[in-house]
Amino acid sequence: MSDALKELIYKIADDQFILGHRNSEWTGFGPMLEEDIAFSSMAQDKIGHSFALYTMLRELGEQDPDTVAFTRNANQFHNCIFVELPNGEYDFSLVRHFLFDTAEALRFEMLLNSSYEPLALLAKKIRGELRYHTIHANTFLKKLGSGTEESISRLQKSLDYSLPYAMGMFEPSPYESELISEGIFGGEEKLREQWTKKLRK
Amino acid sequence: MKSLDPRVNRLPEIDIENSVSRKDPLDQLGTYEVFVQPKEGKPFQHEGALHASDREMAFVLAKESFTRRFQCISLFVVRTTNVFVSDTTEDSESVYDRIKGDVDKGGNQQSYEIFNLYKRGKQHVHIGSVSASSPELAMAAAKNKLPPSKTVYNIWTVKTSDIRFTQPDEMDLWNTLPDKKFRDASDYKGGDKLKEFLERSK
Amino acid sequence: MYGGGTTFEGIKAEKKDDPVKLAEFEARIERGEKIEPTDWMPALYRKQLIRMIEQHAHSEIIGALPEGTWITRAPGFKRKMALMAKVQDEVGHAQLLYSAAETLGKSREEMIDDLINGKSKYSNIFNYPTFTWADCCFISWLVDAGAIVNQLANAKGSYGPYCRALDRICAEESFHLKYGHHCVIYLAAGTEIQRQMFQDALNRWWPPMMHFFGPSDKISVHSDTLMKWKVKMGSNDDMRNQFLDMYVPKIRELGFVIPDPKLNKNEETGRWEYTEPDWEEFKRVINGDGPCNKERLAVRRTAEERGRWVREALRSPKTVYQMPLA
Repeated sequence: MSDALKELIYKIADDQFILGHRNSEWTGFGPMLEEDIAFSSMAQDKIGHSFALYTMLRELGEQDPDTVAFTRNANQFHNCIFVELPNGEYDFSLVRHFLFDTAEALRFEMLLNSSYEPLALLAKKIRGELRYHTIHANTFLKKLGSGTEESISRLQKSLDYSLPYAMGMFEPSPYESELISEGIFGGEEKLREQWTKKLRK
Repeated sequence: MKSLDPRVNRLPEIDIENSVSRKDPLDQLGTYEVFVQPKEGKPFQHEGALHASDREMAFVLAKESFTRRFQCISLFVVRTTNVFVSDTTEDSESVYDRIKGDVDKGGNQQSYEIFNLYKRGKQHVHIGSVSASSPELAMAAAKNKLPPSKTVYNIWTVKTSDIRFTQPDEMDLWNTLPDKKFRDASDYKGGDKLKEFLERSK
Repeated sequence: MYGGGTTFEGIKAEKKDDPVKLAEFEARIERGEKIEPTDWMPALYRKQLIRMIEQHAHSEIIGALPEGTWITRAPGFKRKMALMAKVQDEVGHAQLLYSAAETLGKSREEMIDDLINGKSKYSNIFNYPTFTWADCCFISWLVDAGAIVNQLANAKGSYGPYCRALDRICAEESFHLKYGHHCVIYLAAGTEIQRQMFQDALNRWWPPMMHFFGPSDKISVHSDTLMKWKVKMGSNDDMRNQFLDMYVPKIRELGFVIPDPKLNKNEETGRWEYTEPDWEEFKRVINGDGPCNKERLAVRRTAEERGRWVREALRSPKTVYQMPLA
């Protein structure tokens, strides 16, 4: 059970850490000052979440968060490729933020019932933050998705480019059945279904 | 471009020289005023203004522009054009003395929020709401219904329906605000390390 | 963050101001009351305030760049979170300051245009590069310390919206200052390489730090009018002296050597004596010929250009720009 749990936490932590790192590159270069600030805050939240998760791993016998986050080699990371793609233009960063954070909010919604209490507590604690991230993503996507010809085609292009990569967010763990049967996490398959349903709305 | 900043080197190349000249002269967005409630039992207070494309976006952006540290439990935003402003007075003259206690002769009654300025140079503070048929009459109604105990130098009034409030299911947006210690000076106490260093280098 | 490098021009009150209104205006300032956007004000007061607040705002967004360089390379979680939050604050300060300047009648867009077209200035110190993490720590601690000296003085000025923005900014700067000091204490108490790294940064940054407060009173134009109107709140040399008073002991406490053999406090006069900063270099850099002027403006221009499609798409005829209220 410990390996399965660690694998799950590593995956979530690394995704948050790498995307937080990527999104932090926008600080100071945003499309307008207010959005620069909002986007930076959400990047900070992500790095903060990863820190909480690495701290959890520490309790499970792993090394301290700084060592784990900053000294591993690339092949020791468990994140999906989607989060590490370069930022490109703001359209791609925004679409990735929308697709990832929608999934992340659903993932932590599922973890509210996790049998592993620290995960359930974290899910409860950061619920408001994740709510903000999705409100932000939805507001911008809706606005820009109905703005000018340029903004609509930019978003569409980024969406087409992102979707195949986004599927990588739901790559099942080698311990998937164990995680589900132990009640730690409802599983990537279920998460992907919920995510797809949410996007259709 | 080649920079010392690795982030800059990763920015996609664009042709700056040729694009700046075709700049559209009007890409400034609308203006919204932001009001924040720091804690339970305290009134909302004006915090500042920002630019956004609509009320919803103004609300989303206001949260991180104005409430990412210190205290907040709720905020609201309103378009600047929807704020009605009274005269401004000084010294001991209350602006309410200039407001005639006109009788509101009915008409379309709507709810208005009232904000008073108690000290020049400070922020407007929310004091409550009244029902009236125009912004002017809302100020008159406030004079009767919400009589101030201090001198008021300026009044703002806003139709309640023009405000984007924090919704009940959004109250958890600020849940983790007290935990964000990394934004506070108190999280960077170097005293012990300094003492240890000074001892060592004696 | 902002120094005293503001350049003022045409500092004689214009004759055409209504003498009665002018007297009321000056009496209000004399009483220590704030001027609000709806109050009458002399054209010169408006012009100089726009100029000053705008330069301050530009210094914030340009000031976000040299430290921003280190966001992706900050050592460890604690530093990374702090630096992200700090650079974000600089952007936030620009937001607040542009807003304050907008209440005087110039839109943010016009101000940013003037910045990227080189028409308006920003603090000279951000035209220097941050080669190492220690350079970044120098800015966080000492450049912000210098900025606080200026900003606390300006917060007692006469224009309401600017003072309110500064109150907020100063509250946030206290985090920057503590964080910066924390970083430098850890470098000082660290390995010999870390100590040397900060010493090198100090050697690089000391001359621009002395420039930061603006030209010496001996060579800069005095303006009694702007002092009387509480636009300019202290002389450049007073601000510099105050900074040296507060921070030279703190730098020396950590065992670092300030690269100026003449630096010494004259106990009789209470004033610091130092090697006269190279004002020719100051002028050269402010006029565009510093190590990073081109890069800073190019980066800002790129950011504006890359964000334009977003702002265009968000624009709507229903929500047009208006001056903020206060």
